[in-house]
Amino acid sequence: MTTQQQDIPAIALRGVSKSFRTPDGLQVGVQATDLDVAPGEIHGIIGFSGAGKSTLLRLANLLERPDSGQVIVHGEDLMTMSPQALRAARQRIGMIFQHFNLLHNRTVADNVAFPLRIGGADEARIAERVKTCLEFVGLSEKSDAYPAQLSGGQKQRVAIARALAPEPHVLLADEPTSALDPRTTQSLLEVLADVNRRLGVTILLVSHEMGVIRRLCHRVSVMEAGRIVERLNIDNGRIPPESQLAQWLREFGEGGASPELPETAGSHLEEVPNV
Amino acid sequence: MFDSILDTFIELLPEIGKAAGETGLMMLICLTAAVIIGGALGILVFLTSSGQVLGRYRRFNLVANGFINVFRSFPFIILLVAVSPFTRHIVGTSIGPLAASVPLSLAAIFYFARIIEQTLRDVPRGVIEAAEAMGASPMQIVTQVLLVEARSGLILAVTITAVSFLSYSAVAGVVGGGGIGDLAIRYGYYRFQTDVMLITIVLLVVLVQSIQFFGQWLARRVDKR
Repeated sequence: MTTQQQDIPAIALRGVSKSFRTPDGLQVGVQATDLDVAPGEIHGIIGFSGAGKSTLLRLANLLERPDSGQVIVHGEDLMTMSPQALRAARQRIGMIFQHFNLLHNRTVADNVAFPLRIGGADEARIAERVKTCLEFVGLSEKSDAYPAQLSGGQKQRVAIARALAPEPHVLLADEPTSALDPRTTQSLLEVLADVNRRLGVTILLVSHEMGVIRRLCHRVSVMEAGRIVERLNIDNGRIPPESQLAQWLREFGEGGASPELPETAGSHLEEVPNV
Repeated sequence: MFDSILDTFIELLPEIGKAAGETGLMMLICLTAAVIIGGALGILVFLTSSGQVLGRYRRFNLVANGFINVFRSFPFIILLVAVSPFTRHIVGTSIGPLAASVPLSLAAIFYFARIIEQTLRDVPRGVIEAAEAMGASPMQIVTQVLLVEARSGLILAVTITAVSFLSYSAVAGVVGGGGIGDLAIRYGYYRFQTDVMLITIVLLVVLVQSIQFFGQWLARRVDKR
């Protein structure tokens, strides 16, 4: 990667907004929001349910098409692309989901091969990438298993391997640990940190669990009612105490895995072994 | 009693063989039409339903849905008579198994389309979405996601269509369609030969059981969910 490319944000959302038609009328999902994710960064989006964080994430690969604004990934405006060009661009944007979304009637190896097959890769490259990616997530021995035979954590690892197979520059992660227990969450976060550190993949991650954001992210955008209300740097898991986010943490706790109120923001950090 | 049925059976064997062949032909034609045309129609209706990959083609969805409903509303025996001019036009006659295959195919196409559309609804939206996010085209989503993930349901859909249309093909017998149903009506009903009626019914029961058993066995075998 050249220095010039380093200056371009990996993901840039410019003035994007999105509303949904519901039986109760027009519901605002995201309103006129900007988001810049730097190359090599792990950027978190946190907020309460219905704050629009998943919608914002899904705008980044046009799973949701914004009503207005620009979606620029690696300098390319996705909004102006032809359907073919968009499909090619999506090959370079990996995505993982809360419920894994694996193909149940295909083996682990075939799931990982899936994005390469639809991208028209040759079998030699497919075999090589499947092997490499399954090794990376530590599931080489499960290559012939079907998803139904795997645990939740293993399924998410397969989903990560699948997302990495076409060597994407960015990975979108939509609540990747929210269906997992705390211990599995911990080991999955290690895999995601590895994806970022060893492969240099930029990660944009949505979670409602503060522990996940703290352990993994370099920066966080806090969403409320369809807007980003705060942007913070996370320094070694420390949240600036004067921030809105730190105040929510004092009021509501870490959320998800830890229902008890933390005494001070950052108190949970010590309980978590280093990634 | 059993001896006499056995005698009748042996006596009628050539007739039964011919009738079974005719039923086989009708089933082959109408199931092929149903799977190819009805399958394609069902997939299109599913893809264009709201919230799906081609959900923007709302008008197509409305029209196709209406079409399926209209054809499925016809009592089969009325459809049989109503399309007979059309049948004569393409087959040259309106009697015999080939002619009966025309209304059978028509009914089967729309029947199967509806079942396929509903079967595909079992594929989780998230899985389709994941394929979209990986850059799959609508065609790739059909061939590599929908048909793979729903394959056991699709096999059961063919099974249930086969069983239904085996019985419809017997109705086609009334208007000279031939087949096992025709045999039952000509000998068993019009000539009061209860033994012939019994033989044909046993034959149909065996056929239905085999189709159902094989369909379920295959569906279970390919299901890895």
